[in-house]
Amino acid sequence: MAEINIMETIPDKMVIPLKQHNGDVCEPLVSKGEVVKVGQKIGECPSDRCAAIHSSVCGEVVSVEESSHPSGNRINSVVIQPVEETECEDFTPFKDSGREQLISVIKEAGIVENYGTPTHLVLNPPDCDIDTVLINATASEWVGHNYETPLEYASEMLDSLRLLMKAAGASRGAIVLRNDDEDSIDAFDGLDYEGKTIMVAPLIGKRRVGYYFNDQDTDIIVVSQDKIYGKNIFEYFTYNVTGRKVPFRCTPASVGVAICGVKSAKALNDLVNTGMPYIETVVTVSGQVNNPQRLLVKIGTSFKDVIEACGDYRGEPAKLISNGVITGVAQYDEEVPVTKMTTSIIVQDKDEVLKDISKDCIHCARCVDVCPVDLIPNRIAALSNQGRFDECRQMHIENCIECGRCSSVCPSKIHVMQLIQYSKEAIARADEDFSEKESSNIKLGCSCGSE
Amino acid sequence: MTFTISPPPHIKQDTTFKKITWMKVLALLPVSLVSVYFFGLYALAIIFAGIGMAVITELVIEKVFNKKITIMDGQAVLIGLMLALMLPAEAPIWIPVVGSFFAVAIGKHAFGGIGSYIFNPVLVAWVFLILAYSSYMYPVSFPELGGISDIFLENGAGLLIGVSPIALIGGLYLILKKYIEWKIPAFYVLTTLILAFLVGDNMGHVITGAFVFGVLFLATDSPSSPVTKKGRIIYGVLCGILTVIYGHYANYIFAVFYSIFLANCVTAFIDNSTLPGSFADESFLQRKYKAIMDKIPFERLGVKIDD
Ligand code: SF4
Ligand code: SF4
Repeated sequence: MAEINIMETIPDKMVIPLKQHNGDVCEPLVSKGEVVKVGQKIGECPSDRCAAIHSSVCGEVVSVEESSHPSGNRINSVVIQPVEETECEDFTPFKDSGREQLISVIKEAGIVENYGTPTHLVLNPPDCDIDTVLINATASEWVGHNYETPLEYASEMLDSLRLLMKAAGASRGAIVLRNDDEDSIDAFDGLDYEGKTIMVAPLIGKRRVGYYFNDQDTDIIVVSQDKIYGKNIFEYFTYNVTGRKVPFRCTPASVGVAICGVKSAKALNDLVNTGMPYIETVVTVSGQVNNPQRLLVKIGTSFKDVIEACGDYRGEPAKLISNGVITGVAQYDEEVPVTKMTTSIIVQDKDEVLKDISKDCIHCARCVDVCPVDLIPNRIAALSNQGRFDECRQMHIENCIECGRCSSVCPSKIHVMQLIQYSKEAIARADEDFSEKESSNIKLGCSCGSE
Repeated sequence: MTFTISPPPHIKQDTTFKKITWMKVLALLPVSLVSVYFFGLYALAIIFAGIGMAVITELVIEKVFNKKITIMDGQAVLIGLMLALMLPAEAPIWIPVVGSFFAVAIGKHAFGGIGSYIFNPVLVAWVFLILAYSSYMYPVSFPELGGISDIFLENGAGLLIGVSPIALIGGLYLILKKYIEWKIPAFYVLTTLILAFLVGDNMGHVITGAFVFGVLFLATDSPSSPVTKKGRIIYGVLCGILTVIYGHYANYIFAVFYSIFLANCVTAFIDNSTLPGSFADESFLQRKYKAIMDKIPFERLGVKIDD
């Protein structure tokens, strides 16, 4: 079990971006000179596609200005100078609240999935009904710091799942673990929960969650499967776990599935039990730092302060990456803040920085062999390069989960994944400004619940 | 502090095209040494003539057409070496020179360079040589094949490559390291052995140095073989069938070269007809199965099934 430490030092400056999710930027509720408390709401949602922002520290607002953001853009942010003593807002627990209320407190507390969608939209998508909630624990392992024993972790996770199901109005829920994550499997296996014994069931072949729901005759199960990683795994994940195929350009919500992360599940549990909004997150720091570890940090802490808390850089750093070496974003500035979407920070030194030049594809088929969703990455990349997006569609480009394996194995160092992402974006934007009437023979948008 | 920014992934495998090519050259070294030991220094001259001319041709072409000089990636060396090894030991020295020139100039560059050529340049050159100068291309004697010791050292070998099939074992290491792909060789060998057994050919005639070389080095040349998973299996099987057809009526040594050359022709066709479907699509049989299963009232029978 990986230990999780708490970052104790209070940095000199906190930068809290007013957008830490995919959607609209929040409007600032505070202005220069104001004093804020821990948990005070500082960003208000202008629309539904948004999650509120809270201050994670006590202190004075120095400014509200555009500042760098780990996504690479500059985003309007609240800069706070923290003070020593901490004063909290009065948090009220939300036990025994109904569905509607849960959804609105989730939005107010600013809980966001680590892939960016605000959790309330995942659980309560517009005009779709959710019947199954999945907690994807295949990428992250232990989250949180206050679990004494693995059992406590496991039962708290199950409590969170219950809450998520309640918020979504779903009748079934499953926690999806990773096959090789022994710690978590041990924690769940044999646990007594609500009078039933939990058994971790492997997803093999045609035995998906549906089978186990019937087999174990229960509405909450824990299953395990291979690790899936990638930027865009949801269609594939949904299919693997539930056997439902998400239509093109739709989200899992259209087949009644909500996918949550471990972090947001924990955040919801904390919210309900203590009333604390989403103001801290666990970040894995690795690579060329003196003391790599998992650290609970307050949102808004700069990467630099986090790295200092991990014993500073080892040697001269050359590359700073957030959210994983395979799909993460390289940062140009160490002052970028940790946001709700930050899961890891990796430092590379000069020797690790890649300096390859792309050559011609030699059709070695290594990318074909590693692609988890059976694409022909080299061909799609070549078609993307020539802008032949129609043909990309015929090759099922939308299935790509953006896992980066193809780019990683390519001996010619072709940026296969970028080329694929490029045409995926182009395809997604192609009919954005189509009005519905003009395209009577093309079905746009998703219809929920049906094929 | 300055940080490098670049698109992900931020770590990659260190396999490069250059490394793969040089490893192939290395894997061919043992057999080259055995052939020099066997045929004397003249074999060394053939090999050097082949490599030398290939490198010079590549250099000149890239200079003249203002392309990037790619000598260091080793492909010219590999082409030259492979071609030289496919010649009979008593070929006049200008044969590898002409062959290498043809392989690099026509086989590789005229078809558009790495990644674009459709025929394996080595085979293009070999086919050209055998058509144009067939009298020099036939070895004085074809090996008297038989016993198991031929695997180690072939006494009557005609081509340089034929001297010692076992010396090509390095190719297996390349497969283990994933420098070359395993499906094509596996299915090629299987098909050939099974078919040859069925038509009753002497295994000693089938398993020659040329065959092992063809399986491990010629058929797996990546630009001229299919990329889809199914396609590679079909390609391997096709090579096997063609080899046995030609080999049964003529000889198994040339059969290997001709069959791979012919299989190259249909590579693109194989690729296009074996493109994989989407991950959740059902095949014809699965759809039928589902339709039947839907008709059975499991619920009423009290059997639980997945949804
Ligand atoms: S195409 Fe590349 S990035 Fe996309 S799923 Fe396949 S291996 Fe991953
Ligand atoms: S791994 Fe690279 S060189 Fe090999 S087939 Fe794929 S894109 Fe081409």
